[in-house]
Amino acid sequence: MRYIQLHKSPLFLKIIFIISIAIIFFIGGVTFKHITVLKKSSDFVSKSHDVNTELERLISFVKDAETGQRGYLLTRDESFLKPYLESKNAVKKSFNKVSKLTENSRAQQANLKKLLFYINKRQNYLSKSIYLTEDKNYDKNELAKNLVIGRKTMDSIRSQIEEMMITEKVLLNYRQQEYISTMNYTPLLIYLTLIVTLLLITIAFIKMNRDLVLLKKTINTLTVANEASNLAEIVGGFGSWQYNLDKQTFTFSDNEYRLLGCEPQSFIASSESFYKFVHPDDVNYVRENSINIQSEVNLAPFTYRIIRKDGEIRYFRALGRVVTVSSGERTYIGTTSDVTAEVEAKQMIELRNRDLESSNKELMAFNYIASHDLQEPLRKIETFLSRLVTKDYSNLSQSGQQYVSSIQSSAKRMRVLIDDLLQFSRTNKGEKIFEKTDLNIVLSNVLQELAPTIEDKKALITSDVLPTFDAIPFQIQQLFTNLISNSLKYSKENSAVEIKITATTCTAENEENIPDTIIGSNLYYKIVFQDNGIGFDQEYASKIFILFNRLHNKNEYSGTGIGLAICKKIVENHRGFIIANAIVNEGARFTVYFPVVS
Amino acid sequence: MNTDFINICLADDDEDDRLFFTDAFDELKINTKVSTFNDGVELMDFLHHPDSILPNVLFLDLNMPKKNGQECLLEIKKDEKFNDIAVAIYSTSSSEEDIELTFINGANIYIKKPNDFERLKKILSEVVTLNWQYHTSGLNKDNFLMRM
Amino acid sequence: MKIHLKFDYAQLTKKIIQEKLTDLGYKFNIIGFGEFNFLEKVPLAKMEELTAIFNEYGIDIVENQKSVLVQKIKDAIVEMVHTDKALNIKSSVYIAEKLNLNYTYLSNVFSEVTYTSIENFIIIQKIELAKNLMIKTALNLTEISIQLNYSSVAHLSTQFKNTTGMTPSAFQKIIQKRREVAQKNN
Repeated sequence: MRYIQLHKSPLFLKIIFIISIAIIFFIGGVTFKHITVLKKSSDFVSKSHDVNTELERLISFVKDAETGQRGYLLTRDESFLKPYLESKNAVKKSFNKVSKLTENSRAQQANLKKLLFYINKRQNYLSKSIYLTEDKNYDKNELAKNLVIGRKTMDSIRSQIEEMMITEKVLLNYRQQEYISTMNYTPLLIYLTLIVTLLLITIAFIKMNRDLVLLKKTINTLTVANEASNLAEIVGGFGSWQYNLDKQTFTFSDNEYRLLGCEPQSFIASSESFYKFVHPDDVNYVRENSINIQSEVNLAPFTYRIIRKDGEIRYFRALGRVVTVSSGERTYIGTTSDVTAEVEAKQMIELRNRDLESSNKELMAFNYIASHDLQEPLRKIETFLSRLVTKDYSNLSQSGQQYVSSIQSSAKRMRVLIDDLLQFSRTNKGEKIFEKTDLNIVLSNVLQELAPTIEDKKALITSDVLPTFDAIPFQIQQLFTNLISNSLKYSKENSAVEIKITATTCTAENEENIPDTIIGSNLYYKIVFQDNGIGFDQEYASKIFILFNRLHNKNEYSGTGIGLAICKKIVENHRGFIIANAIVNEGARFTVYFPVVS
Repeated sequence: MNTDFINICLADDDEDDRLFFTDAFDELKINTKVSTFNDGVELMDFLHHPDSILPNVLFLDLNMPKKNGQECLLEIKKDEKFNDIAVAIYSTSSSEEDIELTFINGANIYIKKPNDFERLKKILSEVVTLNWQYHTSGLNKDNFLMRM
Repeated sequence: MKIHLKFDYAQLTKKIIQEKLTDLGYKFNIIGFGEFNFLEKVPLAKMEELTAIFNEYGIDIVENQKSVLVQKIKDAIVEMVHTDKALNIKSSVYIAEKLNLNYTYLSNVFSEVTYTSIENFIIIQKIELAKNLMIKTALNLTEISIQLNYSSVAHLSTQFKNTTGMTPSAFQKIIQKRREVAQKNN
């Protein structure tokens, strides 16, 4: 991972930068040296030029002196002597100049010495000639001789200067050669520098551009994410905050302010400014919890109250975590959600649950009183009545006797009702202990239980092999007893009772009786009780399971309308379903579904 | 049997029930001696007293103040000297759990208090005669279980 | 440790009586189960002593002729149910033949002394046997009903329920749970 990331690391960039700088420095240094050499060469060329020019002037000054001397000699005009005298100085000046210009060249200095000798000699002959002619009777031969030597010296000067010029030219040529050779690879170096620099700049540009694009992209993503998070905060009703543990600075998100009932960023984020909003009773609690983060990395969610700017009390839940970014800075980030609705809903549910529980308890207590404690006085009424009937019946008037038997039958009906109610309340309450229950054993128990009636009715009961599953044995027995005794009770008078019990396994989706809310692939045990009794109108199929609902007049068939309600309750206790189908005078079919629990 | 008394005890906190009980035995033509107790503590004090003549059949109401029927039953079954006493639970409750528990704890008979005096007489007579059969006809007392 | 004992009450009682009487120096002979004949006259005081001794073992001295007869009927029934259970003849005929007396007379005497009918006593004995078979053998209810000459399991169940107030399986369950509790306590 680190290896792959190396070329992206800042260190790599730094190294590249340093190397580039070093290369540019090196190349720059080399170039500078070359340019210095070039400048020197160029200086030399111009110096050589100056030397030549000065030499030309020197010779012209010498000539000027000669011209002036000649003029004077011919005309004896004093005005010709002036340039002669001036040129003497000019020659001296010019010579000094040349001497200075060529001070670095030994060859030229040697030449200059010779030149000086010739110049002095020439000037001597010039002044000698003038001196000779001062005397009116000068020796013409002497003069001619002088003039010849002067002319010869002049030639020597000329040749000397020529030689110096040649020497200078040779020197110049040499320098020129050097200059050219330097000139040859200086552009190459400059070009190379340029290329390398260009290359580096290009690389830097590409890299920077790429980074910039990436940065832009990241910024875009971040902006979107930020916006999304802002939106999420608004929708989700939560805010977030960051606390930089190293810099000790706080940042609150906009919605954090809104949660507190303030305009976004309307005050400076700090723990103290936040604590101002926390409910006074909860401040210490919040502080303690916040401090815990120093020792633990995660802040366990906790709920506290705040008082909003407008004075409303809200419930907040805080959740936080310390994150360490790659720069090593530790930031404590967290969210604050407004859970007031949740807390209030929970409180409401709790309240309702308590209400429900207490009303349930009351109902159960009522049921217990109704069904259990009422048994006691009723039993006594009946017992006393029975004593009255056996002992004093004959002493009663006829209407009195009638009343007593009416009381007896009412009391009897009341007892049946109370018994059934008690049974119903028992299926509701009590520990629902599920245990592995073999329904075949349950059925055989039920058949034993109902043996007298079965024998009496000459009923034929057949059954498939029934399943074994986790159930409440007492209740399943009650269910079977109720269903079978129901079939026995509502049998046709003149034909033998036949009850067929079948058992299969089915899936929820294949059974129209199982509501669609159940997952289709769920398995169910399907147990069907089919009889050949008087049946009932299918119209009433769902009504018969309702408490106290009876299809028959109580004089026709005894019953309280509780039996099937108990059946439904029991089946529901087992997360199953019970359905009735019937055809009048042909029989009834009760189908019970129990979920298969793997 | 015709020369001996059958000793019967009843512990029941309900006065009417005690009355029905004694009246029923009075009307039955069986030689019995019936003693009644208002609660479990009274009963157990009597049973533990060395001079007391132990009953042949003991009728126990389940729901009694101070000491209930289940507690009395457990106490009686723990003590070997009460081995010969047939214990009949005499209660209003018809809860299957109650019934099963009392039988498991050693009760021989479970009677749900009837709502008819004649029926009460019949039940008591059946209990006493059946108990007598167990007592005289060499029947295994461990198998003496009856529910009415 | 729990040991199940099976014993013959008749044999047991007979043995106890024989030993006691011999110890006390009485001359006697045994006529049948529960019936002895003293060969010499026993004084009243001695008789009371004897009653006390036998009472310790739960044995009553029955002097009454009717009681003796009832005892004989009971013996006959026990024998009929336990020994000749596969017998096909009617119980009334069996008892009358066995005691060589009129059945109506026997029935009246029996009811007078025991407050129950002979039929009821037979049922009690049969159910008692059924209980023993249920507890001590691996026979199922159908097999038991056949062995006890019931027309059907339902018939046995009905009679069982009428006599004990509970179904055979409820009875079995209670006995089994009692054993479990006893085992846990030991």
